[in-house]
Amino acid sequence: MGAFVGLIKKDLTVALRRKETFVSMVFFAILILFIMNMAIGMGEKISPDMAAGILWVAVLFSSISGLGSTFSMEKTNRCIDGLLISPVHSATVFLAKMTVNLAFLSLAEMIIVPLFLVLYGNHVQSLHLSLLLIILLLNLGLTSIGTLISGITAGSRRNDVLLPILLFPVITPLIAFTIKATGALFAGAPFQEYAPWLKLTAAFALIFSTAGYFLFEHVLREN
Amino acid sequence: MSRIRPIGLLSSVSIALFALSIYYVLLVVPVEREMGIVQKIFYLHVPMAITGFIFFFLAFLFSIFYLKRQNRKWDIFAASSVEIGLLLTTLVLITGSIWARPIWNTWWTWDPRLTATFILWLIYSAYLILRLSVDNEGKRAVFCAVMAIVGFVDVPIVFLSARIWRSIHPVVVKTRSIAIEPKMGIALLLFMAAFISLGAILLWLRTSLSIFEGKLLSLEKQGGN
Amino acid sequence: MAAGDKQPVVRVEGLTMEFHGIKALDDVGFCLGRGEFLSLFGPNGAGKTTLLKILGFLLKPTAGHVWMNGQEPDTRNGNARKEIGLVSHNSLLYDDLTVMENLEFYASLYGIVNPGERIEALLGRVVLYRQRHLMVKILSRGMQQRLSIARSLLNEPSLLLLDEPYGGLDPSASAMLTSHLKELRDQARTIIMVTHDLTRGLEVASKVGILSRGKLVFLQNTDGINPENLSDHYHRHLEVH
Repeated sequence: MGAFVGLIKKDLTVALRRKETFVSMVFFAILILFIMNMAIGMGEKISPDMAAGILWVAVLFSSISGLGSTFSMEKTNRCIDGLLISPVHSATVFLAKMTVNLAFLSLAEMIIVPLFLVLYGNHVQSLHLSLLLIILLLNLGLTSIGTLISGITAGSRRNDVLLPILLFPVITPLIAFTIKATGALFAGAPFQEYAPWLKLTAAFALIFSTAGYFLFEHVLREN
Repeated sequence: MSRIRPIGLLSSVSIALFALSIYYVLLVVPVEREMGIVQKIFYLHVPMAITGFIFFFLAFLFSIFYLKRQNRKWDIFAASSVEIGLLLTTLVLITGSIWARPIWNTWWTWDPRLTATFILWLIYSAYLILRLSVDNEGKRAVFCAVMAIVGFVDVPIVFLSARIWRSIHPVVVKTRSIAIEPKMGIALLLFMAAFISLGAILLWLRTSLSIFEGKLLSLEKQGGN
Repeated sequence: MAAGDKQPVVRVEGLTMEFHGIKALDDVGFCLGRGEFLSLFGPNGAGKTTLLKILGFLLKPTAGHVWMNGQEPDTRNGNARKEIGLVSHNSLLYDDLTVMENLEFYASLYGIVNPGERIEALLGRVVLYRQRHLMVKILSRGMQQRLSIARSLLNEPSLLLLDEPYGGLDPSASAMLTSHLKELRDQARTIIMVTHDLTRGLEVASKVGILSRGKLVFLQNTDGINPENLSDHYHRHLEVH
């Protein structure tokens, strides 16, 4: 437990001092929101599903820079050797990194989601607190597999390009579930109507957290 | 010379199977009433899809073996399986398109099975890009093994999500309901056997090529010192 | 071992590491008692790093055994790693954390509760106490290396592994490192250092070994060995193999 807390505390302290990761996460999302607006065209009405799609595409792209940097910080000065030679279990490292990624992503969304509502509010017919649940489940799914794959790409030559190349195909189902649920919520559907999608999102998060928990050991050792 | 024999035998069997399948499909199986002659591509399309899927499953198994044993052989088997699976999946997408043009009146539609197959294609193409992006052999083997496992675990979720996605949209295309006649069934099975034998041959050739490549490389390394 | 009936701290037997058909290590064996300092020399690709990784339980050998304090540690078990310390040419330190924060973090990895006193004592020993609240990134390379030594001693390891610790140090920092290493040796720590610097390696060692193509082709106590004849041995062994 001490190691788990120590790892998280260390990552958060470093991130707090190097603000560029977080700033670029938010900035990237703002850019996507803006570009998407150009893609829609002036004054066009879009469906709730499409609005939901825009939000999650923005979040997805912004998550990449966060996921990439939490792992690659261990490569500077080969800190990762310090982790590997220590008695800490690699699964603990996985859970700590996933928690940190979850925290960063949630923090970025605290800015991205309200901003989305300001920019695209007129396409959103209805809003409900269960949006927070959708966000949480998406974040869990995204950071579970994202943490594992960021470990792989940190060990490759082309870290920044490779992360989305490997990550995006695998998480298409997760994005599909989330967009469907959010679209229904934006359209004013009752919770029961999109609850099944949330169950699928939760299942996705569970499956890939388990996969990460067991596979991270191999990934960590090769870095 | 004796090393070449089993593969030669398998090749003869495969060629015979393909010849028989093509003869059977073209001359024995009746032309389907509604879709006409184009429907016959179906006998290629479905066995290729299933065989491709079998090879992705093999890649998954070989990758688990690699992580357990760290034996280079399993990495080569996994990579070769992905390549063969991807080749077949590409052909599935192409034959699907050719079939869709006259039947659905479009080359491409976001039908759930097409979409899912396309995502599958993306996942395993990414796997091959990863192979190109890591130089160190041991590292590459481990990373790719992890991705092959993750990719295969994702497959059922991908198919499920594609199905659910469609259930919300208006149903543009009715599900193809083809009453499988015994002759059609036999044609499918024949092509199935033909593609599995072809896949086995490709796996054999591809893995032995990689193993020789590895041997050559290690010889070069030893000589270079 | 000659040292009475005392257990050797580390005993290695028949260590072989085969990877994808190439032998990185080939039947390596040696034995180190308490307070012994082994310097291992060899060109790149001789298997030095592989040996260190096996001793640090990062790799499982294809064949052979490693005993620590008379027991064969279970590599799946993190506890075996509590007996190991590592100093390499990379600092393994976080640039954006202070000296204290770095050591506190590593202490947490080893499950050390209330590490304050131990950290302060270690910082005193490597003469960094006054810099304890400075960020690592503004420390000189030499200071970082001293901090690395403090870091590696946090868990009071039975075996200290040094991986090219002189890499990237200027002459005065190197001299400082040498004096620290001598101090560690005199405190009866067991140390294995991997380096290709013959002179420095010999200066601090009580035993020297030469690895060539995965084989330990030379292993001797340092009595009667001087830089000249060590260099002769080194070149002769590398040519023969």
